[in-house]
Amino acid sequence: MSETSKLLEKWLKAEEFIIVGKSIDRVDAIDKVTGKAKFMEDYTIPGMLYAKIVMSNEAHAKIRMINLEHALKIPGVVRIITAKDIPGENQAGYALPDQPLLAEGKVRYHGEPIAIIVAENPEAAVIAASELNIEYDPLPTLLDPLESMNRRDILIHEETGSNIAFTTKVRRGDVSKGFQKSDVIVENEYKTQHQEHLYLETEGALAIPEIGGTYTVMSCAQYPHLAQAITARILGLPTNKIRIIQPYIGGGFGGKDDTGPLVAAQAALASHLTGKPVLLIYSREESFRIHCKREQSIIRYKSGATANGILTAIDVKIIMDAGAYANRGPFILWRATMHASGPYYVENAKVDGYCVYTNKVYQGSFRGFGNPDIQFAVESQMDEIAKELGLDPLDVRLKNILKPGMTTMTGQLLDESVGVGKALMMLAEKADWRKKRKMYENEKGRYRKGIGLACGWHGISTSRGVPDWSNAIVKVSKDGGVEVYTGITEIGQGTPTTAHVQIVSEILGIPLEYITIHFGTTDAPDTGATHASRGASIGAIGVLIAAAKVRERLATLASEILQCNPEELKFENGKIYSKNDPEKSLKWKDLVNEAFNRGVELSSTGYFYLPKGKFDHEIGQGYAYPAYSYIINIAEVEVDMETGIVKVTRMWPAIASGRIINPKAVEGQIEGAIAQGIGLALMEKVEFDNKGAIINPNLTDYIVPTAMDMPKVEKPIFVEDLFRYGPFGAKGVGEMALIPTPAAIANAVAHAIGKRIFELPLTPEKVYFKIMEGRICQK
Amino acid sequence: MKIIRFQLNGKWVEVEIEENMTLLDLLRRKLHITSVKRGCERGECGVCTVLLDDKPVYSCLTPALKAEGRSVITVEYLSKNGKLHPIQEAFIKSGAVQCGFCTPAFILTTYALLKENKNPSEEDIKRFFDGIICRCTGYVKIIEAVKIASELCNQS
Repeated sequence: MSETSKLLEKWLKAEEFIIVGKSIDRVDAIDKVTGKAKFMEDYTIPGMLYAKIVMSNEAHAKIRMINLEHALKIPGVVRIITAKDIPGENQAGYALPDQPLLAEGKVRYHGEPIAIIVAENPEAAVIAASELNIEYDPLPTLLDPLESMNRRDILIHEETGSNIAFTTKVRRGDVSKGFQKSDVIVENEYKTQHQEHLYLETEGALAIPEIGGTYTVMSCAQYPHLAQAITARILGLPTNKIRIIQPYIGGGFGGKDDTGPLVAAQAALASHLTGKPVLLIYSREESFRIHCKREQSIIRYKSGATANGILTAIDVKIIMDAGAYANRGPFILWRATMHASGPYYVENAKVDGYCVYTNKVYQGSFRGFGNPDIQFAVESQMDEIAKELGLDPLDVRLKNILKPGMTTMTGQLLDESVGVGKALMMLAEKADWRKKRKMYENEKGRYRKGIGLACGWHGISTSRGVPDWSNAIVKVSKDGGVEVYTGITEIGQGTPTTAHVQIVSEILGIPLEYITIHFGTTDAPDTGATHASRGASIGAIGVLIAAAKVRERLATLASEILQCNPEELKFENGKIYSKNDPEKSLKWKDLVNEAFNRGVELSSTGYFYLPKGKFDHEIGQGYAYPAYSYIINIAEVEVDMETGIVKVTRMWPAIASGRIINPKAVEGQIEGAIAQGIGLALMEKVEFDNKGAIINPNLTDYIVPTAMDMPKVEKPIFVEDLFRYGPFGAKGVGEMALIPTPAAIANAVAHAIGKRIFELPLTPEKVYFKIMEGRICQK
Repeated sequence: MKIIRFQLNGKWVEVEIEENMTLLDLLRRKLHITSVKRGCERGECGVCTVLLDDKPVYSCLTPALKAEGRSVITVEYLSKNGKLHPIQEAFIKSGAVQCGFCTPAFILTTYALLKENKNPSEEDIKRFFDGIICRCTGYVKIIEAVKIASELCNQS
């Protein structure tokens, strides 16, 4: 067993904790409540220029000409940058190399960046952007993915020969035999919509030329090393010339994972070509129109079950609207495909996924990453099966729920860390599910209550065998101060400012004020992205290992000084002492000082490469994820039968995501995810006109939940089903509670009104007409 | 250009402004008070909230000229000599802070609410907050923070 694995296992098996598992206050909260916290736009550099993006006003068109002459005459304009000015490669695609940083030759969506105006003040940049003369030769547009996937005469990316960007599949058993064995078959089509991240701080970047031909780019990206790689590629420089740092970031939710690096590259390009520091901040409308959205999905789902509710087969077809560029689309589709069974055992499964180009803003990462769409279908199906069979939806789920020792739909054995069944039973009891379910059945009158249940699962780390690792540096200074360098970012979730400091404090036994985490920076080794709920799980393993290595060295030294066995030493509250003889003790600072005097190295890297298996795409079977986090939400709603208005009145969450390092922070993630899930379920939808332009790119017309829309959220149930490679067994939390929220609400609404709506969001209009459906209008 | 005088966080200031300037630009660009955030710039998100004579206003929609002779309060006003205001304490303790972009606006709005209503009910709090968006917390812990803050303020 390697040293790394030994250290991971040692801390996984720890039985008592000083600070892990405690709801400490976030260490960044003090900056944020006093107004000292600085965000991108709060930084100014003398001589700084301001950049602005010029967007396409066509969804699909050849760019005939860009005439700079007029715009360049606006006082204060310094430079106008187009694709031909890019010194490196004009390529910012993620899954596929299909996306330019600035449109070249043609545009593929309304809002696509074409040029960057650089000016001495923001006002001049705004005027110049409106004065820039771009002439287009319009091409036919494809806005409907179902049409687009069948057209070959109109191609959004000519070189591909098809508008299908990517396909996925899972095959298990024999679905036709499975359906033959079933007593009931339920088949439906589900639709989900584009959702806007609406981080309150829009995207931005500040690029500063530094000594030695390097650039420091302050970026809002969720993966500094990706921002570095894309910026370097655009500038035609090696990555070592680009340094990425982050200020506080006003929310990310995945959107800045995809867009942050592109904005960093745009600002750096402007800085490179002008030799000046350049600040680029997207306006709200630009943010809406330019950056990726949660995908629109169409899901056809057929399930078969026996009379007592055991699943026999599923046949699923997922079509996702990728928009103009693949971006993360293939990976989003992968995730939806791999999770298409829900957290249930099914012997026969066939899943096909299609990621289809259209001339709309491209799809991208958004909390849940394809999974809320598919769980909406899965969990609606479970309720429909229960309804057909006259069973309680809870029982249908309990009969099929995954347990340790079972295999997933892709044939992967789950040998540990499957707490979903326990969490489901505990939650049903806490919410008094059976009683409420019966009680609301007979609701009469204008306001009707309903209660709905939905489970979700989410593979941690990246899909399939895609490599994933963790990385960090810990260094201790002579006075005992500890600095940690990580690429994991702080985007509101507080991973570096809660979980990371707690891990270091726990292992070194020192107070929080001794520790500073330098987060979101390429000064740290490549830590991977702050996405896929991995910041406090996979992303924190490196922090744990680096700190644990320093501790081992200090323990050896302390045992020499104190004349005792290193195993009996405790590190606590800035002291190192023998648990057998507490008189034998040293102060942390004195021990560190001794280490410097005696030649003990006190800086360390922490690296871990996550063991994974292989997924065989040809046969549609194999290894999908190292482990899954599980989530269950129960939603209670009240429906106004006369207006169709749905009010979510109460939510009960339960989560099985391994060790909970900071319960308060986890509650915050769950509550915030529920709010975004309520938005997705009831009100949020990016609307397009028939030319592919977003018609609600502002907060007046795009509605998100306010305090008035929030239900009472009960304290979550935590089932700590430890994961062997997680830090202290942690799996991941960030995305979880959003995943089943739309399904839980839809199930509760179906319970209240007695009919199901298969398309999100459940707007008053849709609910009202569903209630009225089949009613005879009397004159 | 025009010179206006107003009280900023309890101190009189005199500043030359362009007549079409918003209070947001005056505070951020002229006076470098960056705790006031620029959000949607159309009075929808509320992150630019400041207190004008103790009432919350969207500074993005308020002409700077309106500050003439009046009091403008930003979150910097609340902590005195390094000691946090009970509202700030309550926001930290209850976990009401995530990304922090809307936090100054919520804290100032809480300050205004507790001035006019010492014991707000949950419904009062939700209604008072209807003009500010938080995309991180789901408001649950912000509402908790206001309840804690009202207790702390009533004690002191």
